[in-house]
Amino acid sequence: MRAAYLANYFITGCAASSLLGWIASLHPMSARAIAFLAAATFILWGLCWLLDFSVSGWLKISVQNLQALLLAVLAMVLIGAGVFLCS
Amino acid sequence: MQLKMFVLSGAAVVFWLAPLTALDKKVGWHKSIQGISLCIATACAVTAGNIARRLSEQAEIEAIKTRAITADVVDEIATSAYISQQQRQQEAEAILNPVEHLERALALTCDEGEDSERSLNEQSDQLAKTYTERSENDKAERALQLKAKGWGKAKIILEVWGVSKGGSPKYKAAEAEYKRLVEE
Repeated sequence: MRAAYLANYFITGCAASSLLGWIASLHPMSARAIAFLAAATFILWGLCWLLDFSVSGWLKISVQNLQALLLAVLAMVLIGAGVFLCS
Repeated sequence: MQLKMFVLSGAAVVFWLAPLTALDKKVGWHKSIQGISLCIATACAVTAGNIARRLSEQAEIEAIKTRAITADVVDEIATSAYISQQQRQQEAEAILNPVEHLERALALTCDEGEDSERSLNEQSDQLAKTYTERSENDKAERALQLKAKGWGKAKIILEVWGVSKGGSPKYKAAEAEYKRLVEE
């Protein structure tokens, strides 16, 4: 059951990424906003990788779990955006 | 609940992928349907994830309960085995009572004469008295130790005298002896 809920949250992330892509395709201004959001997220993601020990202590999870979470976030964004762009 | 979760998961995947692949982005109403379906897909996936998380927590609680019940049963079996072992040990000690052995030996060798018989009887009585006193002392010491540990009266009587609580004459006698020894 744990795998089921992780998979569901993963699908949520993918669908949300596709939705952000769809919002970005509506208007150039929304595309800029989404691009800014993506850039901020990417910087935050990189900082989390660099400061993984501090962030894991702050979130009260293990470093391995934090790294798995970051990889899952990357995979969600790539899959969601990829599905939207390639369709 | 599980069925609902699986239906919602399937719906999330379908609402996410089907409109994106089947509809054209250049057509206005197709694009609107894509946006709506993506919103629906996200909502379905979040709901399914929440349901799955709740089910997972319930399964963990059930597993903990099962482990606790198993531990209780094992503890109960171990306690009953310990008590029955103590009772058997006490019965065996009663059978192998040294006073009885001595009396038996004396009975076998008492054919030698009246004087020797009398002196042997006196010795036997003295030995029996000493043994009884020692046994009482041991019991008193053990009972006091257990009382100091915080054991209850019934449990101490069961442990030291091997008599379980009830209205039996054995238990009453053991209780009287317990009171006498502990209050001394």
